[in-house]
Amino acid sequence: MAISTDLSSTASSTSERLSQAIGRRQSSVRRPRGGVPSGLGKHLFLGTCAVLALFPVVLVFSTALRTERDVRVDPFGLFTSFSWENLVTAWTEGGFGDYFLTSVWLSVPTTVVVVVLCTLSGYALARCEFPGRDLIFYLIVLGILVPFFTIMIPLYFQLRDLGLLNRLPGVQLVLVAIGLPFGTFFMRAFFQGLPVELEQAARVDGCSEWKAFVYIMMPLARSGAAALAIFTFLQNWNNFLVPLLYLPSGDHRPLTTALYVFAGERTIDIGPLAAATLITIIPILVLFVLAQRQLIRGFIAGAVKG
Amino acid sequence: MAQSFSAGVAATRRSRSRLGLLFVAPTFLIVAVFFLFPLGSAVYFALTDWDGVSPTPRFVAADNFLRMVGDKEVWHALGNNLIWVLVGTTAPIVLGLLLAVVLWSGVRAVLFYRLVFFMPYVLPPIAVGIVWSWIYDPINGWLNRLLTLVGLGEAARGWLGEPDSALYAVLAAAIWATFGFVVVIFLAALQNVDLDLIDAARIDGANAARRLWHVILPQIVPVFFMVTAITFVGGISVFDIVFIMTGGGPGNATSVLGTYAFKNAFQLNDIGYGTALALLITVLSLPCVMILNRVQRALAKRGMGD
Repeated sequence: MAISTDLSSTASSTSERLSQAIGRRQSSVRRPRGGVPSGLGKHLFLGTCAVLALFPVVLVFSTALRTERDVRVDPFGLFTSFSWENLVTAWTEGGFGDYFLTSVWLSVPTTVVVVVLCTLSGYALARCEFPGRDLIFYLIVLGILVPFFTIMIPLYFQLRDLGLLNRLPGVQLVLVAIGLPFGTFFMRAFFQGLPVELEQAARVDGCSEWKAFVYIMMPLARSGAAALAIFTFLQNWNNFLVPLLYLPSGDHRPLTTALYVFAGERTIDIGPLAAATLITIIPILVLFVLAQRQLIRGFIAGAVKG
Repeated sequence: MAQSFSAGVAATRRSRSRLGLLFVAPTFLIVAVFFLFPLGSAVYFALTDWDGVSPTPRFVAADNFLRMVGDKEVWHALGNNLIWVLVGTTAPIVLGLLLAVVLWSGVRAVLFYRLVFFMPYVLPPIAVGIVWSWIYDPINGWLNRLLTLVGLGEAARGWLGEPDSALYAVLAAAIWATFGFVVVIFLAALQNVDLDLIDAARIDGANAARRLWHVILPQIVPVFFMVTAITFVGGISVFDIVFIMTGGGPGNATSVLGTYAFKNAFQLNDIGYGTALALLITVLSLPCVMILNRVQRALAKRGMGD
């Protein structure tokens, strides 16, 4: 237990420092620093890596947005034709419209629940004194240290016995349970970083505990909660193992496991497969571009999760 | 007067304590049922021989763990995990550090590059697996096309289909997906590096490599260890990308502890043994985090990097 305290305290201080560094504005006038070979070599290196990073994603777009015939002739040619037909095929015949909805249904409500519960528990563990507080904290954040792998097999039988196997609420509960340890850790660190004076002032002014939380702390916690929400949504949307294990019948499938099955069964349909992949990653890419800063902040804080 | 004041404080403390318990209760309840309970079951399952069907698991004490020692498959998988840990730690760190230092040394469009490098990290493993298996396609894949183009056509092969190359091919895809995370972490850490020290070293005639090694690196050592710990644990508990791309094959060429545990539990219905293997993953990964964390703290105490 002592060791996990060490871990969480170091992690929070490191991650805070790192987030601060990220939040810092880049100075407009840059002076050369360090001492790295300048000029052409540098740009060649960065450019090559950028192309390598982008190419696989470009390949998904290109393959998804060509005609089915063209893909059959030359599966991976780049932008040799243009058509929406693969997307239409994947969405309707491939059933990816339904899978998309299942993904939304598995990611959005679970994210809301995780953020609400973690705001409460994070606040409680950071600001309220109650018996057994430290023990409760350690038991919750133990989930950060123990890989999901360890509990996945017993959890399967537990869900089966509870009648939750092959049912969406079962998977939603598991996703929430996976999100809570890190979320609690994250929100607790966030509340610890907020000034105590505001709350005290509110109390002196006769605010009840509940009111102090709702009117003073919650508005202040908004940016932390937003970062946690984006991070949690992404984890849930991308999760592969949980629906694979706990929705084995195939009655309900989110995009990730549907893609896995589709790729295994219809290896020749590269066009629709690419379109299905595109459907899966588009929400993630949009979110990433819009909320890059919050996401990176979440990931750095989550670094300790490993 | 004084009495009523202290009574008021005590009342506040009580209501605060109640609020705290109330706030933490839902989180703790879910974590207890869907994490702590299955964690306890995992320890119990690992000590039994069970097919998942018969009503009561048969208690076999440490038999599953003794069986591991004599199981060649376990040693083979462990070897693959070791390769994964070594290559999957070294490559992203070297590449990530180089890119971070180059970006930090002052180039235009830092934010653009950071966005591009980090993007693969947010994609779901299933999408990474699909697009990289296209790149590795024996006939139409871009890797073989590229090799042929530069006159290395003889090296072209079915990357994922041959036992010699399959593990490294999957590993390369995983490195593609993670290196951007390392870049972002290092870039954030570098923002805290003392620039005056670097200038002083330059004046003293230290060249770029020496400045990097003797001045910059010592200042970011804790972050260095943090990243190592993450990739280390990642290498031991790897599952998704291997399962998706090769399923442990061809034969058992890419089998790792994760896929072997999964196979035992969910394909061979050897629940006890599968759970014991999953516990092995946890047992192997926890000390890594703790040792590295200790080193990190020791270094921080000596005043390096803080």
